Amino acid sequence: MKVTRLTITVILSAALFAVLLYSGLKPSFGPRNTTPHIALVMKSLANEFFLTMEHEARAHQKSSATEYRLTANGIRNETDVSGQVRIIENMIAQDVDALIVAPADSRALIPVCAQAIQQGIVVINIDNRFNQQTLAAKSLQIPFVGPGNRKGAKMVGSYLADHLEAGDGVAVLEGIPTAHNSQERKAGFIEAFREKALDILTIRSAEWDMEKANIVVAALINEYPDVKGIACANDSMALGAVAALKAAGKLNSVYVVGFDNISAVQEMLKNGQILATADQFGGQIAVNGIEYALEILKTGTHKADQETPVELITKQSIENNNE
Amino acid sequence: MNTKRIMHMLLREAGVGIALVLICLLFVFIAPKFATMLNFTNILVQISINMVLAIGLTFVILLGGIDLSVGSVLALCTIVAGKVLTMDSLSVPMAIILAVAASIITGILCGLFNGYVSNRWNLHPFIVTLGMLNIARGAAQQISNSRTIFSFPAVFNNFGSQTFAGVPVIFLISLIMIIIAGFMLRKTVFGRVIYAVGNNEESARLSGHNSGFYKVIVFVISGFCVGVAAILYMLRLNMASPILGVGFELNAIAAAVIGGTSMFGGKGSLLGTFFGACIIGVLNNGLLLIGMSDNARLMVTGFIIVAAVVADYYRARVSLSLQTEQ
Repeated sequence: MKVTRLTITVILSAALFAVLLYSGLKPSFGPRNTTPHIALVMKSLANEFFLTMEHEARAHQKSSATEYRLTANGIRNETDVSGQVRIIENMIAQDVDALIVAPADSRALIPVCAQAIQQGIVVINIDNRFNQQTLAAKSLQIPFVGPGNRKGAKMVGSYLADHLEAGDGVAVLEGIPTAHNSQERKAGFIEAFREKALDILTIRSAEWDMEKANIVVAALINEYPDVKGIACANDSMALGAVAALKAAGKLNSVYVVGFDNISAVQEMLKNGQILATADQFGGQIAVNGIEYALEILKTGTHKADQETPVELITKQSIENNNE
Repeated sequence: MNTKRIMHMLLREAGVGIALVLICLLFVFIAPKFATMLNFTNILVQISINMVLAIGLTFVILLGGIDLSVGSVLALCTIVAGKVLTMDSLSVPMAIILAVAASIITGILCGLFNGYVSNRWNLHPFIVTLGMLNIARGAAQQISNSRTIFSFPAVFNNFGSQTFAGVPVIFLISLIMIIIAGFMLRKTVFGRVIYAVGNNEESARLSGHNSGFYKVIVFVISGFCVGVAAILYMLRLNMASPILGVGFELNAIAAAVIGGTSMFGGKGSLLGTFFGACIIGVLNNGLLLIGMSDNARLMVTGFIIVAAVVADYYRARVSLSLQTEQ
């Protein structure tokens, strides 16, 4: 017998085909598990915000009165849209009962979520809201549980504006421009600045990223030496902005504000390097989404959107909390 | 018949395939819902785009080159195609045909740039394609104004989720691509010369082959594959975005390398690349289904890549000892 590449290929393909066939015919064995299975699909777990979300969801699963199984997954970076689609597809194949999704893109995740709904899976949208027009065009209703990003950003923006004079120059750092929450926060900042008649010098994107924010701000303070305040759409970018200001020796003349209240900014809030941020209680968002899903699974009724609280965090509010 | 020899042959020719079958079998037993038709169709769709990119990279790596730009060029191709596809002035069939053509032409032009520049000035493709990685990303963001493009014609969107005899159309397209490319590489003079140049450029040149031509053309092939992959991506996600495809080049390189393509050129096959892409896809899927955390998944995939290269070292020694036996 002569062993050729072809025979080996044929044998292997046959083996693979056998596995496929076997699996296709195999009925799902075992008694059907009746505890609901909930899948939490988040964005980048390298971002502390989502890590907190995962931890609180797990804590909730352990202590919750309603018993359920929880699978939590995230993607590698905030822009990995196809990675997130892949996770959701795999969750659908796993027959989960509910999907809690923090979409990396406000539109791109809608088709796969529509597919999930078709399979009878309850889908809840958290954190970053799906584009409402696209949802309407597909006549889908997906309840949204999340913070009023615009309201939060306006609070932070107004607090910054209170520290400045009318006509002072400010800059805005937005996240990934295609993301709905970035657009909302940007709009909130701009609204607050317009009310106080501040001069918005420029709006730049640093894609939620500390490193990119560092570079953007370093260039920005060269271009606009008289900038008095920088509003960042998340805290990671605020950290990058502070590093750039420090390098340029301008930390004392420029105010920086952020969003998210991650633990890395706590010290900076206390020593004044960052003026303010907003806490949208990320952990609570996921937990609320899960409770929403459990309720829908139990009662079978559709639920309306739910806005979760956002709180302004400053040096003062931290000190008050500690007392 | 020498059993030892059969074992060696198996190891040399089908090592990756056997690994794939073993990994599949493992998951059938340990992962709930792994072995379902829906899950397998999922895997097929999920590996398609990486597989098409890996075809192009196999050609490039066979000549000892590398193409780091495929992820960014993919984004650029989707943006260009997306712009054409959403033009109001075009009829739907016309828009689709032109969008496919635009995507492929964009890919080919980027590939031509990579190939020509690295060959003309004798630069390592690593640095030239690194440049292209930035050029294409910047161009994609510039052209799209950093916006996602969507609302493609319904015919186009629906085609992406079609199946043919139970097999997803997206996978079928990539399968046809890999069969044609495999035929080119194995059965045509063109393909054999690529191996010859990859093995020993000097001797190929001395026997009358224009090695420069081949060094450029493999990048054009890679660009063509990116153009096709971009259309597959749009069929799958129904959108075009300037930020997609970050890190795709690494997965495609991994597929080729796991499949036994040597980074030094001259050695490798598209059958191997096919198995390599399958292994990455099955791992991604199976590890997720058994509930492994994100970070652990990354580590496991990383170890598998290293293990594949180490296995390749032993395979090379086995085939060497086989030759001496003969």
